[in-house]
Amino acid sequence: MTEDHERIDELLAGYVLLSLSGEEATEADRILVDHVPTCATCRATLSQFQAVSGDLALAAPPVHPPETLLPRLHHAMDEVPLAGRTPRRGALIAVAASAVALVAMGGLSLVLGNRLSNAETRTGTALEILSAMRAPGASPVNVSPQDQTPPESGMVEVSAPDFRRLYIAAEFCPEPAPGHAYQLWLGSNGEWTPVGEMFWPDDGVLLLEVEGVDVSRYDEIWITEEAVAQPPTEPSTDGRSWFGSLT
Amino acid sequence: MDEDDRHDLELHRLVSGRERSAFDELYRRYGRSAYGVALRVTSQDLIAQEVVQDAFLALWRAPEAFDPARGAFRSFFLSLVHHRAVDAVRREERLRRRTERAANLEPATGEDPAEDVVEDAYLRVRRKEVRAALATLPPAQQQVLEMAYFEGKTQMRIAEELGIPIGTVKTRTLAAMRKLREALREE
Repeated sequence: MTEDHERIDELLAGYVLLSLSGEEATEADRILVDHVPTCATCRATLSQFQAVSGDLALAAPPVHPPETLLPRLHHAMDEVPLAGRTPRRGALIAVAASAVALVAMGGLSLVLGNRLSNAETRTGTALEILSAMRAPGASPVNVSPQDQTPPESGMVEVSAPDFRRLYIAAEFCPEPAPGHAYQLWLGSNGEWTPVGEMFWPDDGVLLLEVEGVDVSRYDEIWITEEAVAQPPTEPSTDGRSWFGSLT
Repeated sequence: MDEDDRHDLELHRLVSGRERSAFDELYRRYGRSAYGVALRVTSQDLIAQEVVQDAFLALWRAPEAFDPARGAFRSFFLSLVHHRAVDAVRREERLRRRTERAANLEPATGEDPAEDVVEDAYLRVRRKEVRAALATLPPAQQQVLEMAYFEGKTQMRIAEELGIPIGTVKTRTLAAMRKLREALREE
């Protein structure tokens, strides 16, 4: 495929600055998956623009964080379950399923959910879900418990054509088995893309927002319980799971 | 790669091995820059703190997300903070627009843009280089970059606010990024 590199450079510049929206964001995603990985020039451009974007942060005046921040961080680190974990690239794979795109997206940004979310943030997410349900073209999808999964743990997926965002909500999400975590997958024509590992909230009330996802590309959603010691390459059918059709 | 980048790599390697002292050292090196940019983007103390906390915690949880082959740790981590700050400010803006109440958001009162903040010399030098490079951009290019990067606005919105075609926003953005790339290129 012949690509217009001036146009691609424009998209990459907007992409690293997080300033694309609508069709252009979709086009950038396509370029990142279809073209950039195979084009040395574009890979270099993306990498260089990423470096510029990182350094632009230094233009802001440095500010001392509050003294309480590091102790809070230490406390939060203690809460993060790390025992028995091995590094999991698979848990961080971006929807674009491209190593280049993963870096471009900031890598860590697609860890799903936030253990540190305060009540205001959760309320905000809940309000966004309600708003998304009313958006034109939005149709909430039941993501239903399968097999041995508790029947009262049904989830709802909400997305809309123009959102590039996906929400998942559940009143009761059971705690994953020891050494396991829930993994979100999106499927298209039987091919499954790992979106990320979902944090399990202590109270089981799931309010999850995933940014930058073009749900219209997919026809199925699957949440599976995966052993954290092994990066999942395909959905497991051994543990709990939830499944929904997006079409 | 210079000595400071190599030191970052060593600290990152130690963090990957769950060394808390290395994590604290990275916090000491980048906490002020991270909080500075988070505060600049979000303009809210509490949100900026949460952004910085999330970013550092993400680093602790999954240090393997940084691939040394793809650039400096500094760029990776500050990009991560910026990305989260923009996400946060857009989320807050959506919420604020919808609820029409911003009363629960504390304004940034603790901003202390003290240039005498004690920081590593290499960051101080790099900061000067970045600002000098920005100063060489034509004002129109500076403006679109400022609106995109520090105000978290999309190109579409920038075009609307400035009353210019979106194509002009794109052109100015690309020109600015190319100039900064040349000015900031590291050996």
